[in-house]
Amino acid sequence: MFHRRRATMAAFLLPAIAVYSVFMLYPLVRGLYLSFTDSLGGPVAHFVGLQQYRAMADDPAVSAALWHTVLYAVVVVVVQNGLGLLFASMLFRRPRVRQALNVVLLTPTLISPVMAAFIWSYLLAPGGGLNGLLDAVGLGSLRHVWLGDPHTALYAVAAVNVWMFTGYSCAIFLASYMSMPTELLEAAALDGARGWRRFRSIEWPLLAPALTVNVTLSLIGSLKVFEFPLVLTNGGPAGATDTLTLLVYRNIFGGGKFALGIALSVLLLVTVVVLSSATNSLLRLRERRI
Amino acid sequence: MTSETSRLPVTAQVTSPRKPRRAGRLGSGLGTALLWVGTALFVLPFLFTVVTSLRTAADVARAPLGVPHSFTLKNFSDAFHQIHYGPSTLNTLLITGLSCVCITVLGSLAGYPLARITAGWSTAVYRLFILGTSIPVFVVVAPLYLLMRDMNLLDTYAGVVFIYTAINLPLAVFFYTSFIRSIPVDLEEAAALDGCGAFRTFFVVVLPLLRPVTSTLLTFVALQVWNDLLVPLVFLQDPGKRTVMVNAYSFIDPHTVQPTTLFPAALLGVLPLLVIFVFFQRQVVAGMSAGAVK
Repeated sequence: MFHRRRATMAAFLLPAIAVYSVFMLYPLVRGLYLSFTDSLGGPVAHFVGLQQYRAMADDPAVSAALWHTVLYAVVVVVVQNGLGLLFASMLFRRPRVRQALNVVLLTPTLISPVMAAFIWSYLLAPGGGLNGLLDAVGLGSLRHVWLGDPHTALYAVAAVNVWMFTGYSCAIFLASYMSMPTELLEAAALDGARGWRRFRSIEWPLLAPALTVNVTLSLIGSLKVFEFPLVLTNGGPAGATDTLTLLVYRNIFGGGKFALGIALSVLLLVTVVVLSSATNSLLRLRERRI
Repeated sequence: MTSETSRLPVTAQVTSPRKPRRAGRLGSGLGTALLWVGTALFVLPFLFTVVTSLRTAADVARAPLGVPHSFTLKNFSDAFHQIHYGPSTLNTLLITGLSCVCITVLGSLAGYPLARITAGWSTAVYRLFILGTSIPVFVVVAPLYLLMRDMNLLDTYAGVVFIYTAINLPLAVFFYTSFIRSIPVDLEEAAALDGCGAFRTFFVVVLPLLRPVTSTLLTFVALQVWNDLLVPLVFLQDPGKRTVMVNAYSFIDPHTVQPTTLFPAALLGVLPLLVIFVFFQRQVVAGMSAGAVK
């Protein structure tokens, strides 16, 4: 009786396995294969070994895009989690406004990236909201063509990303704060630990798991960023905000370099997997030491 | 990448009984002021968008940051037509709804045996699903395009729903498997002794218990699917089947369009989500914290 039961239960898996294999695993394997061919998307594809990867390595636009992607991720991870932590620690100490402000900070997270990019493309425009605000408060000298200057464009796009997801980092840190053992915090208070000292030796170690989660999530999310640079700058000015995802998209669906686009997507996969698992292992190791 | 989610804080609703010590009143007051200013900076762009979208173009041109003189809903009706809001909202709703159903059904069905059968192969299948949480959709988008073309699924809702189901199944499997593992097995054993087969046990005993994890999963999945641009942009080119995000992206160039057209379009695009957020605030917060394993 129990054998038949197990067999029926195992059959529950079949629909999920079928859909997942056909629409995820098979394309993944086929993509890896196609990156070693000269496929143009049609039925003909010759095996060409590492040719696409060599073409990639020789193309300065690719190394530039890889660098932009990593720099963008670093900026977003540091600033977003720094601000999120700052907000969370302040909210934790103010129980009366905690819940309300947490929800307010989360609102931008709900907006789709395309819509957030719409809003900010006006705010960051030369005659737009931010420059107008700077004029209004007498800081007109700081006016800038934020998205048009190759030196600031990538940071401006990153700022939009940070605006959208800081509330999210904050919510995760705050949840970690709320789960701290009260006895420990009380004992620390009795011993006179306050301010920076209390944060550094009591709260910071207890926040380690939340930090791991936050850093890992924001790292993966920002390495895969697509809509923000697409809508805000479309890679410009002069390729200053070209990311790996934009190159993949352009090569596959517009450049006639189908196989090269696929090889680029493999580079993206490797970047995401290597950076996220390295960061994750380091942070876990750190958790265990604390 | 996945095991840390087991201790992922799921909700920020708990209230602490601890009262902070009122030491350094000045410092605390300064901190509170900073907190309010900081929060205001985050909300300001949003409020500005709402206010500007209700002003006339002439009023905005006169003083973009000034006090509004007249309000109008005309911008919204213009944007409504420009991005074909009615049909594209229906398309997006259809795609989001169908994807949610498929992900829930396939995910919970798969989670049950994966949680209850302890054998080498079931662990292997579970790992294979979890692998999917770290694959960016960009990596499979080109081969998927070829596959859809060969299966005649380009420009069909079914194709897009299949893709969303495949993308989100790893997360659903992870959610359901870990949730069912935390349910005591006694009830199911009792049902089996009473003669319930695996099917009836699942639908009568297990399924009703899955409501909380399902609502968390669905808020996250619905947000993802509604907001997504890439999949419908690539796989739905028939103008009649486009989603809100694709229409907004294709019909509006944010660098040439006036804010009085741009902002209402942006707000219309997120309106359904804001409504959901108001009603399901708790689940959304939980879903976003827990769901973001991706």
